[in-house]
Amino acid sequence: MAPMGPHKDTGIDPGKDKASDKGSDSQHSAPRADEWSECLQAIALHADRAAYTRLFRHFAPLIKGFALAGSSLSANHADELVQEVMIKVWQKSAAYDPAKAAASTWIYTIARNCRTDLFRRLQKFDTPLAAEDVAPDGAAEEPFEQIHSRRNGQRVRDLMAGLPVDQSQILAKVYMEGKSHAETAAELDLPLGTVKSRVRLALQKLQIQMTS
Amino acid sequence: MPSYHPDIDFLTAHAAGSLPLAQGACVAAHLNYCHECRRTVSALQDVGAALFEQVAPQPVSEQVLDRVLARLDEAPPLHFANHHPAGEKTPAILQRLMSGDFADLVWKKVTRTLSISYLKTGDPGHEFALYHIRAGGRIPLHGHRGDEITLVLQGGFSDADGDYHAGDFLFRRAGEEHAPTALQSEDCICLGVLDAPLRFRGWAYRWMNPFLRLQPG
Repeated sequence: MAPMGPHKDTGIDPGKDKASDKGSDSQHSAPRADEWSECLQAIALHADRAAYTRLFRHFAPLIKGFALAGSSLSANHADELVQEVMIKVWQKSAAYDPAKAAASTWIYTIARNCRTDLFRRLQKFDTPLAAEDVAPDGAAEEPFEQIHSRRNGQRVRDLMAGLPVDQSQILAKVYMEGKSHAETAAELDLPLGTVKSRVRLALQKLQIQMTS
Repeated sequence: MPSYHPDIDFLTAHAAGSLPLAQGACVAAHLNYCHECRRTVSALQDVGAALFEQVAPQPVSEQVLDRVLARLDEAPPLHFANHHPAGEKTPAILQRLMSGDFADLVWKKVTRTLSISYLKTGDPGHEFALYHIRAGGRIPLHGHRGDEITLVLQGGFSDADGDYHAGDFLFRRAGEEHAPTALQSEDCICLGVLDAPLRFRGWAYRWMNPFLRLQPG
């Protein structure tokens, strides 16, 4: 079993924290539980502030990095986004299901939605819809999918390491900077068709199934 | 199971959160009907999460942590988006926008067989409207100056290229023309997202063109 991605960046040994949390979660047979999904469950079950603080120290800098990636957000707005996302993580922790998605996938979707809402607020959008109405947090709802979705998520992460730089760079623009394919093309001074085909090639290598 | 789907570019932009609001809402409505695209979007979100894990972390001050910890006891907002199970007859996103049933909307009659109801999404660049075509009714041949997404919600229609049923998602680029006809068996309700107004082609209907202003927002 490969270690989950998040640990790589921190340099913190997750082993010790894990042992202290285990007791309370042992009856929850979460497949491939990792430190962060255990933290989320400790928050949901026991309002565990120590687990929350650990989670914050790991994810808050990533959320801030995501907020500032290629966008026009100020550092203040980026901090505002961090607060908003992390408070939602606390409030919604009971909705997190470790069988469906890695903790980082769930937190990513919350961060993505909060960033979209923040952009729209800054542009004075008058809309009855929140980003989470359009794209709910988390993963597929289907019970049949649940068993596979978590494993598929790990496969995507493993395959990502093998992508050529030009392809992973474009994916980063599309996802982290929230750029449309057309904006990405303009910024990298590439024809739109090249951007589209690089994205498609990358997704094929990540074994993303394409309908139609 | 629908036969016509958003292409991978649409689904990727949806998973990355970068689609314009009205188009994103249309993709979300398609997902209500389409198990396959839901699975693809879920995988595309994993791609986003993998990139998120690798993003260059930016230092966050202890004050931000303190402020967040101080706010944890606040009562959560009353309304979080409800997780409606997919596969309902009317997609959750439309239920949010309609506050009622199709019959409760204000319908504007355009021709004998076609009525339109405009819904407000707040997207300043796109019109988001429902089209009601009477069974067997035809929408006169028209083209577009911009792009058009059509999602069939009820009944179905056909044009020179094929037959379309509930959940089918059609994307037409500027310049393409078509004259959809509702199936004979029942009335058809579609969702249409436009970024430029329709242009009718036939002599009998061209007089309407100046009145077909885009109604975004």
